[in-house]
Amino acid sequence: MAIDFTVTDTAGKPWTLSDHLDSAAVLTFQRGDF
Amino acid sequence: MANRHQEFLDRGGRVFAISADTAPMNAAVVEKLALPFPILSDADREEVITPLGFADEKDPREIARPGAAIVSPVGEVVYSFVGRDYADRPLEDVLLEELGGLGLSSTSQPPPDLGEIQPGEKAMPYRGLSPYFRGAKFAGLAIRSRHRSLGDDFGDDLKAYVEMIDRYLEALPGVEDRRA
Repeated sequence: MAIDFTVTDTAGKPWTLSDHLDSAAVLTFQRGDF
Repeated sequence: MANRHQEFLDRGGRVFAISADTAPMNAAVVEKLALPFPILSDADREEVITPLGFADEKDPREIARPGAAIVSPVGEVVYSFVGRDYADRPLEDVLLEELGGLGLSSTSQPPPDLGEIQPGEKAMPYRGLSPYFRGAKFAGLAIRSRHRSLGDDFGDDLKAYVEMIDRYLEALPGVEDRRA
């Protein structure tokens, strides 16, 4: 099943997964505030 | 992972980190570590962190559990690892092997654009990273030494923890190079 989602990039702009899938995406999940 | 970024690109995978922090907090981490990839913000965890099973439901800070997922070019999750806690993270070698198995052509990734930069209240300054990791390593070694009688599972867990810290320490020169 294909997934897609929109989050916010480091410039504060919307970022959508499907716009970046001309290659694979390696998503790494971080606990944050580091 | 930043030190091996090119290996991911060579195997056809771009790297995108994701956290529940705000975009300015993520920008501060990208700047501090001179990361060659962005950290994306899923502040309410509703877009990807929870749907893919990475929400840490036990932590009151409503953060993500450490882990990784590989999404193929058709949008299919072909690999996923959800860590138990902050000391349980996917190995880069495993991710690279999984990615290589997709047989993709090499790709490229532009450096992340940074907007407002605002470190979080608990963010550690760059100069604190090395002593922090060293302290964490030797605490792990001391605990392992004190409690050998607790058995192999305990010892193996602490061994893996110390090895993780060693990887962080080994990565710091690469951070220095990128920051230079």
